[in-house]
Amino acid sequence: MKLCKKTQNLVNRMLFTGPSIIAFLSIIIVPFLFGVYITLFKWNGIDSDVPFVGFNNYLEAFSDKAYWVSIWLTVRYVLASVLLINSVAFAFAYLVTSGIKGQNIFRATFFTPNLIGGLVLGFIWQFMFNNFFVSMGQKYNILIFSKTWLGDETLAFWALVIVSVWQYAGYMMVIMIAGLINVPKDVLEAARIDGATNFRKLIHVTLPLMIPSFIITIFLSLQRAFMVYDVNYALTQGGPFGSTVLASMFVYNKAFVRLDYGVGQAEAFILFFLVAGITIFQVYTTKKMEVEA
Amino acid sequence: MKQFRLLLIVILSVSILLLGTACGGKASESTAETSAAQSSEQAQTSAPSEEPVKITFLNSKEDINQQIVDAIQVFSAANPNITIEVLSTGQSPVEKAISLYASGTPATLCMLDAGDIQKFKDKAADLSNEKWAAELAQPNQIDGKTLAFPFAVEGYGLIYNKSVVEKAVGGSFDPSSINTTAALEDLFQKIQSTGVAPVNIGSMDWSLGNHFLALAYATQPDNDVNKFLDGLKSGTSDLVNNPAYNGLLDTFDVMKKYNMSINDPMAVTYEQSIGAVAKGEAAMTFNGNWAMMEIQKSNPDGEFGFVPVPVSNNASDAANLSIAVGATKQIFIDKEKSTDAQQAAAKKFLDWIVFDPAGQNFLVKESNIIPAYKNIALEPNNSLAKAIVLYNNAGKSIPFAGNFVPGDHWKVLGASMQKYLVDKIDRAELATDVEAYWQAIK
Repeated sequence: MKLCKKTQNLVNRMLFTGPSIIAFLSIIIVPFLFGVYITLFKWNGIDSDVPFVGFNNYLEAFSDKAYWVSIWLTVRYVLASVLLINSVAFAFAYLVTSGIKGQNIFRATFFTPNLIGGLVLGFIWQFMFNNFFVSMGQKYNILIFSKTWLGDETLAFWALVIVSVWQYAGYMMVIMIAGLINVPKDVLEAARIDGATNFRKLIHVTLPLMIPSFIITIFLSLQRAFMVYDVNYALTQGGPFGSTVLASMFVYNKAFVRLDYGVGQAEAFILFFLVAGITIFQVYTTKKMEVEA
Repeated sequence: MKQFRLLLIVILSVSILLLGTACGGKASESTAETSAAQSSEQAQTSAPSEEPVKITFLNSKEDINQQIVDAIQVFSAANPNITIEVLSTGQSPVEKAISLYASGTPATLCMLDAGDIQKFKDKAADLSNEKWAAELAQPNQIDGKTLAFPFAVEGYGLIYNKSVVEKAVGGSFDPSSINTTAALEDLFQKIQSTGVAPVNIGSMDWSLGNHFLALAYATQPDNDVNKFLDGLKSGTSDLVNNPAYNGLLDTFDVMKKYNMSINDPMAVTYEQSIGAVAKGEAAMTFNGNWAMMEIQKSNPDGEFGFVPVPVSNNASDAANLSIAVGATKQIFIDKEKSTDAQQAAAKKFLDWIVFDPAGQNFLVKESNIIPAYKNIALEPNNSLAKAIVLYNNAGKSIPFAGNFVPGDHWKVLGASMQKYLVDKIDRAELATDVEAYWQAIK
């Protein structure tokens, strides 16, 4: 087939991106649109007769107090996780590029937790908090560990944060290593000659030049923290007393356990717009902070 | 340009085809029904028993999955044209069933919790005329029709370790001597003086919410659970002053006082609570006869029994001597996507369980299930199941109220009961939580 240049280009593009587009459409776009459709009905997932309720589901979602409590809890979790993940990751990245002995082994060790899937991670840490720490705490009389952290509301929250930090710090560290290595040596050299201490070099030269990496890591950690489900489920199952039910778990319970698909989907949309808004705002503001060497 | 358009059309139609299969829905339903009608007509003209039929069985009792697979092998040997594929699911059979329906491939036989059958009533075949429907010990109807096959009868109460309790009372122990909360506390003190923990309360939300709290619904004066729940939904129930509610929580307070894990009640998992009783470290725990499997892991030969949970200090109160019993697992046959031949094969399998000696053996002896059928004379092997059968036959039973509640009752009110367990909230707040939950149910 002799095609004109324009068509040939299109065929090439379609050949390479076609499968991905089809997959993206059918797995993400179509369920999304179907979700919008569901929010206008009251459906329990089983019935064939489904009454149309218009925007009632959205009204119910906005007035659902428990949902907003869950969102507020998720926001606090996100703040804690993002701050800690990025600080710890930066500390690791700095350590690993500072030229100490065995830094490659450290690199690999710090990255490994990220390879363990969320569910397995949650179960391992559940065992740690419920059994290991408790028996250590009781044996050596360490008060804070003598009762399981997962039985207390505040401590269970921090347990979730700790597990998330453990999981993602390695991944963010890798991104920051790339950023750190790319800080031009001559600028650092110039700063040293001008008499800057290591600390000042860090604050005034390295960090500003690493902002592109921070954009990525903060974006990724924000998005993952907001949407977390697997660690939440495996570690606490939303307990104790439903006090660590984060937003995704709340939506899941509303739709699939309470069997109220319309309201669950409406709440999921609210979450989506919230996360999209926050992440876009974050990328926009941090991009403005980028500096040239 | 023609070829460009052609290419675009090809790509768009492939995408639409993919999307169309993803949506499924009414279109594929009607094609399935017409093809089912055609194939059933064909089946009737040819000899129906010769046609090979394949059906699927969604099993939600994971602990007897192997017994079910073995039973199906025996059944298939007698009925070579019927193959049954078993799908096993753990925690939430409703979720699995819903996802099977959503993908257009529902299981022919679905085993669900009794309270969930209501949701599938327009998809379940009418089984009122089946032979076993006449043998039911208790009717099992929704809207006047029998839509599900009661598979397992189960009951719960305070499981006790016979040897530990008999040592404490210095002789043989009759559970019916515990007919008030005060008598239970007395027994706890006797057990504690022998150095054994009287009770180990499991902190599981499903146990505290759907089983323990549900006793308050089941022990109302007229034993009408639905009437009481309607009162809760309309806000007219005044739970905080309800005598059965307060009596039940009085007993719970006694249990809390003598709880083996009083220092960290929330750390007690299902396995730990049952294991403690099995090994004799605690005398009692609140659970059901399904726990026998777990007990036998640590103590295969021990003898156990049930003490009913007292709900008052009135010795003549029948509820104090009754165990909550009900058909908890029920099987319905899908009529939406299954062909007539498949439904007939499924019905044959259910008949086999109830009337064929091999089927009865699988149900009662191999799986230790208490049957819901009057014609089955076999008795299950284990002491807990035997105890339930005794209570049931003597008429000392109250409704299994966990069968009447919505799907998230155990999650929401289980969490509230857990807060009460660790004294985070008091009775009045618990009552408010319960009433708020029911009033939000439409």
